[in-house]
Amino acid sequence: MEFEKVGEKRTTLHYFAITFLLLLVVMGILLPKGARSLVTHMMIFSILAMGYDVCFGLTNQCSLGHSVFFGAGAYGAIFSILHLKVGILPSIFFSMGAGLLLSLVVGLISVRLSEAYFVIITAIFFAVFHLLAMDMTWLTGGDDGLSIKLPSISLGPETISLYNPLVNYYFVLIFLAVSYLILNRIARSPIGKIFVSIRENEKRVQFLGYNVFRYKLIAFIISGLFSALSGGLYALTLRYGSADFFSFHWSIMPVVWCLIGGLGTLAGSWIGVVIMSLFQYYVSAWWTYYLILFGIIILLILRISRKGILGYVISRRLT
Amino acid sequence: MNSDDSLLKTVSVTMRFGGLTALDDVTYSVKKGEVRGIIGPNGAGKTTLFNVITGELKPTSGKIFLRGEEITHLTPHIICQKGLSRTFQLTFIFPEMTVYDSIWVGVNSRARRPWNPIILAHHTADLSQKTQEICQLVGLEEKMNELASNLSFGDQKILEIAMALSTEPSLLLLDEPTQGVSPKETDNILKVIEKLSKNMTVILIEHSMDVVLRLCHTITVLNEGRVAAEGSPDQISKNEEVQRVYLGEIS
Repeated sequence: MEFEKVGEKRTTLHYFAITFLLLLVVMGILLPKGARSLVTHMMIFSILAMGYDVCFGLTNQCSLGHSVFFGAGAYGAIFSILHLKVGILPSIFFSMGAGLLLSLVVGLISVRLSEAYFVIITAIFFAVFHLLAMDMTWLTGGDDGLSIKLPSISLGPETISLYNPLVNYYFVLIFLAVSYLILNRIARSPIGKIFVSIRENEKRVQFLGYNVFRYKLIAFIISGLFSALSGGLYALTLRYGSADFFSFHWSIMPVVWCLIGGLGTLAGSWIGVVIMSLFQYYVSAWWTYYLILFGIIILLILRISRKGILGYVISRRLT
Repeated sequence: MNSDDSLLKTVSVTMRFGGLTALDDVTYSVKKGEVRGIIGPNGAGKTTLFNVITGELKPTSGKIFLRGEEITHLTPHIICQKGLSRTFQLTFIFPEMTVYDSIWVGVNSRARRPWNPIILAHHTADLSQKTQEICQLVGLEEKMNELASNLSFGDQKILEIAMALSTEPSLLLLDEPTQGVSPKETDNILKVIEKLSKNMTVILIEHSMDVVLRLCHTITVLNEGRVAAEGSPDQISKNEEVQRVYLGEIS
């Protein structure tokens, strides 16, 4: 027996993602310098968006605390380079380790709570961590932040440096591609199905013999891990990190990206990132209150399809 | 107390919500292989009894045993793993998942290796086979790739039963499986239940007397949280008490 529709839906998504990634490979060479740096940022945000999608899109946990993991990831990378003098790749391990630890702690406390309480408590975590980061200037540098000097990466006899924007671009692209492949695999594995069934009807999953709390926690941690990776890459790319990495911006943007692109589609959130970033880049230049316009556009998109842009495209193909 | 051959046994289970006593000293036992019916007017405590048995609610007092083992204070997912499965009165499905996937999730739960992230879900042959068997058993094999929300109400009720079956329960609790369904689909659902009851212990809550009389060996009448009567379909339909509290009120 073939699973045509389901298969087709997944393949459509997968083709979209692969095409997108290939396009990024080519664009790295073709793009002018300014645009390349913008796209690098978009790719970093895409990792955050996908990570967040595991939490919100797959298991329906609307967290407002993901800035905690983003910031932790950034500072994990910065501290390990500043204080432990490690290389770039180990610093990313530290950044993901920080995300793992924090998402475990935050998850254990908040995942048990039902929807509204979950949103509130994750938002409280954001507030606490943001305040702490702002206050503990001796550690985090507060608003001014901390700058770092990047060590170079040695690949056999060659050494490459992230100071080269082209290297930086492909460095981030590799992480985006690997993150996508891992998360896509997880989404299509048994545990991914369990995640989706939790999104659909949490209580029923319990009556099918699953410990729902455990699976929600796992999804939350996976999500935190990739959010931290994104934060780490962002800090490495900017060679800088500040308390701003814990700000509400990084909690709310993932929600917006995922909603625009299509919840639970993983790669769909990339569309959200692209639209939002371009919008921010171009429109904010000529109108200070561009966010009002943006709000209206989000409402329009969600009015047309509650499943976001990519969700809409897929559902059209299916019917 | 619990050394007899009953599969499920509740001992003086009482459930109070504030001042309301939903279940009052209910002692009830079901043997392996039985098909039991529970009837009673609205608010008699039928669904509450299910909720207490499946661990969704903790009884105010009393004990519940499954195969002689106490399950009173276990969580729903553990009780389910011990072989007790239920359906819900209001359809309680995964709207945006296909029929196949909805059943697969339960089959996967039973297989006890639920979270290998490396394999692809559709590549597990044994689980796939089992899922399709269940689809065929309940007659949903044509609709395996439909989204659950696109099914007719009757088919959703059948899917509900199929999902409960997917965990291979030894005891199946059905909460008004034909409620709100057209007569033709009702017949369909009853055929499915008849087929199941041949090799499974079933407890059935029903409003419709016809259904219970057709399917069940033994019928229990609940009224105001108490067991008002218990007996064979014949005895129940002749019981005066039952006619007063139940049949009289309905018709």
